[in-house]
Amino acid sequence: MAVSDTQAVAATGRSGGLAVPSPLVILKKYYSVLLLIIVWEVVARLNLVTPFLLPSVSSILKGVYKATLEADLIRDTALTTYRALLSFCVALVIAVPIGISMARIRVIHWFFDPIVSIGFPTPKISFLPIFILWFGLFDRPKIFLATLACTFPIVTATYLGTMGVDKYLLWSARNMGTSENSLLRKVIFPATLPQVLNGAQIAMPISIIVVIVSEMLMGGGGLGNYIMVAQRFADSVSVFAGLLVISVLGYLLQKILEKVRALVLHWHEETQHESK
Amino acid sequence: MENICAIRNLTKVFFVERTGEYVHALDRIDLDLNRSEFLILLGPSGCGKSTLLFMLSGLDHPTSGEITFTEKSHDNKRLTCTVFQEYALFPWRTVIDNVAFGPEMRRVRKRARYREAERYIELVNLTGFETRFPNELSGGMRQRVALARALANDPEVILFDEPLAALDAQTRRVLQTELVSIWSKTKKTFVYVTHSLEEAVLLGERIVLMSSRPGRVKEIIDIADIPRPRSTTNEREVKVLAMLAEHIAAEVDKSMRREREL
Amino acid sequence: MTVRSTIVVLWRYAPIFILLAAWQMASELKFVPDSLLPSFFDVVHRWLEFLADGEIAKSGTFLWDAVRSFFASTVVTNTAASMWRGMVGLGLSIILGVTLGIAMAWFQKLRDFFEPIVMISYPIPKPALIPIFIIWLGLGHISKIAVIFAGCLIPIVISAFNGARGVDRYLIWSARNMGTREGKLLWRVVVPASLPDILSGIRMALAISFILLVSSEMLAAKSGLGFLIFFLGESGEYAGMFAAVLTITLLGFFADRAYLTIMRRILIWREE
Repeated sequence: MAVSDTQAVAATGRSGGLAVPSPLVILKKYYSVLLLIIVWEVVARLNLVTPFLLPSVSSILKGVYKATLEADLIRDTALTTYRALLSFCVALVIAVPIGISMARIRVIHWFFDPIVSIGFPTPKISFLPIFILWFGLFDRPKIFLATLACTFPIVTATYLGTMGVDKYLLWSARNMGTSENSLLRKVIFPATLPQVLNGAQIAMPISIIVVIVSEMLMGGGGLGNYIMVAQRFADSVSVFAGLLVISVLGYLLQKILEKVRALVLHWHEETQHESK
Repeated sequence: MENICAIRNLTKVFFVERTGEYVHALDRIDLDLNRSEFLILLGPSGCGKSTLLFMLSGLDHPTSGEITFTEKSHDNKRLTCTVFQEYALFPWRTVIDNVAFGPEMRRVRKRARYREAERYIELVNLTGFETRFPNELSGGMRQRVALARALANDPEVILFDEPLAALDAQTRRVLQTELVSIWSKTKKTFVYVTHSLEEAVLLGERIVLMSSRPGRVKEIIDIADIPRPRSTTNEREVKVLAMLAEHIAAEVDKSMRREREL
Repeated sequence: MTVRSTIVVLWRYAPIFILLAAWQMASELKFVPDSLLPSFFDVVHRWLEFLADGEIAKSGTFLWDAVRSFFASTVVTNTAASMWRGMVGLGLSIILGVTLGIAMAWFQKLRDFFEPIVMISYPIPKPALIPIFIIWLGLGHISKIAVIFAGCLIPIVISAFNGARGVDRYLIWSARNMGTREGKLLWRVVVPASLPDILSGIRMALAISFILLVSSEMLAAKSGLGFLIFFLGESGEYAGMFAAVLTITLLGFFADRAYLTIMRRILIWREE
C-alpha cells in the first residue's frame, strides 16, 4: 500500500514499455489448447465420429466465414449484441439509484431488501413465458427479462458499495462543510463506483445468457435463434459456428467492460498497479 | 491569550448495544482553547480523547454540556477541520483536487481555488505532485495532502486524530518537525490527539492529560516555554517525559485492574 | 421461535406480502385481465391442485394412498425430475472441479496444461452449449446433466484453483516445519484453507445450475419444472404456468438459503 517517499519519487520517471510476447512464448503458453484443436481436427478428419456429432474445426471456421458472407450471422450477431447491451444499460440506469438509495434511506431498504434477497438467487429465465405473455413476441420480452436479471447483481453491488464507503471520507467531507447533495455526487458516488463496476461485470454475462436463451426459446433472430434453428436442421457445423461467435462476443463485451473499468477507475490502486 | 473556544461541563455517554451498558466516554470536561496554540490531548486508549475531538469537529454531539466558539460558523467559514490517521483522501481526486475540495464546496471559482490549493501544497512541500493520485503517494505524503486539504478550508482550529500513528518512525520524525514549522507559519490553533508521550513533548505547548473510563481531564501541563527545536534527550524534555510516563502508567494500571474485576 | 423474532421476520418480509396483496387486488379490481395476470389465489389454488392430482391405483389404505398420490402429483414428480438432474450435474462438477482446481494449484505441469483451456472456456455463455449436448446426448436426462456439469465445472475449478493458490505460505511452511508429509499437507492444510473460496465458487455454480436446468428443460424435455412452465404456457394454462414459475423461484431461493446456512456452519472458524 504505502510506498516510501523515495520509492514514490523514483516511480515518477518510469517509462512503461509494453512487451509484445513472441509467437514462441504464445505457443508454449497455449500448447494444450493447440493440442486439443489438433486432436479434434484429426478425430473429425479420420471420421472416428460422424461429422454430425463433431464437425472438424476447419469446417466450423469455414462455416463462420460462409455465414458471414451471407450476412445472416452478422445480422444475428448485431441483434444479440443490441439486445444484450441495451438491457445491460437500462439495468444500470435502474439499479444504481436503487442500490444507493437502499443504503441511504431506511424505507427503501425495508422495501427492496426482501425482494432483492429472494429475487437474486432465483433463475429469472423461468419468467420468460410470463414476459412473453405480457410483452408479446418480439424484442421487448427479451430485453425486459435481461434487464430484470441484470438489475439484481448491480443493485446488490451498489448497495454494498455504498454501505462500505470509508466512513472517514464521509466525516472529512462533512467536516469541510459539504452539503448532502454534494456529498452524494462528489463523495458517495465516486467512492461506490468500483463496486458498481463489479456488479456490472457480473451483470454483463448474465445479460448475454438471458438474451441468448430467450432467442433460443422464442426465435425472432439473434445468435441463440441461429444455433437453435441449425440444431433443428441437424446442421452441426452451424451450431458450432454459432457457439464460436457467441463465445467471441461474450469475450469481447467482457474485455470492453474491463477497458471501461480501467478508464473510469484510472485513479484506483488496481489500475495504477497494473500500469507499473 | 485570546480564548477561541470554551468547553464546559462536557459529558458524553454511549450506549453499547452488545452489552446493554452505558459507557461514560467523557465526564464533565472543562477546557479552553487559546488562539494559535498547539494543544495535545494525551491519554491511554479508550480515554475518550478521540471522542472529544469528534465533539469539537461537530461530527458528534455531546450528551450534555457545551462547546462554544467565540466565532460563529457560516457557509464560508469552517471552525474546525480534521486530519485523520486514515488520511481520508478522496482516491479519485488528484492531490490538487483533494486540497481544493473545501473551497470547491464553498463555491470558490476554479482559478481561485487552484491558486489557493497551490499555496498550501507548497506549504506542505508537495510541489510537483499536484497531479498525482493518492494511491501513487507514500503514507507520509498522503498525510501532508490531508494537512494541506484541512488548511485550505482556513478553519479556526485544526484537529488531528493521531495523524502520524500509521507511519514508520523516520517519516514520523520528519513530519513532526514539519508540523511544528507549519503551525508556527500559519498561526492556526492545533488540537492534537496522540498516545505517544514523545510526540506530546516534541510538539505541544500545553498537554492535556486525560484519564480513562470515565474520560476526565486529569492535569494540564504547560510546556510552552521549552525552546524549539526540541529533542527527547534534552534535560527538560526528559523530565516532562518521565512525569508523563508516570501518569500514563498509573492510568493503564488502573484500567487493567478494572478490566480484571469485570 | 419467540414472538419477538417472529415479528421481526414478518416485518422484514412484509414488502413481499404487500406485493402479493397488490397482485391479488389488481386482479380482483380488474385492473388487468385474467388472461394476462391470473389472481394470486387462483395461482395458489392451481398449485394445490397440482399437488393433489397424483393418479394412482387405490390400495385401500387411506394414508398410504395419500403418500403415494403425493409422490405421483405434478408438482412433486416434476420437481423431483429437475432436482435429480441438477444435483447429479452439480455434484459431478463439484467432485471433478475441486479436484482439478487444487491439483492445478499444486502441480505446475497440470496448471500449464489446463489453465489456458479453462481461460478459453470461461467466457462461453453456458446455455449456448445446450444445442450441442442435445446433438451429442439426445433429449433425455443425460444431456441436461451434462450441460449442468459443463456449465458449473469452470467456475468451481477457478475458485478451487484460486483458493488453493492463495493459501498463506506461512501456513504451508509452518506445517512442513512441523514435519507434515506432502500428502497430508494437501489434505489437512491446503484443502481446509481454500475452503472459503471453494464454497463461494460452489454457490455461484448453484445459481448457474438453476439457470441451465430451467433453460434446458424449457428447450427440450418431457418432464421437469422448466418443461412444465413452457408446456402450460403454450397451452394457455396461465394460472398453472405462474404456479410452476413460483415453484422454481422458491426452490432457487431456498436452495441458496440452505446452502448459505451450511456454508456458514462449515466456515464457522472464519472471522467475519
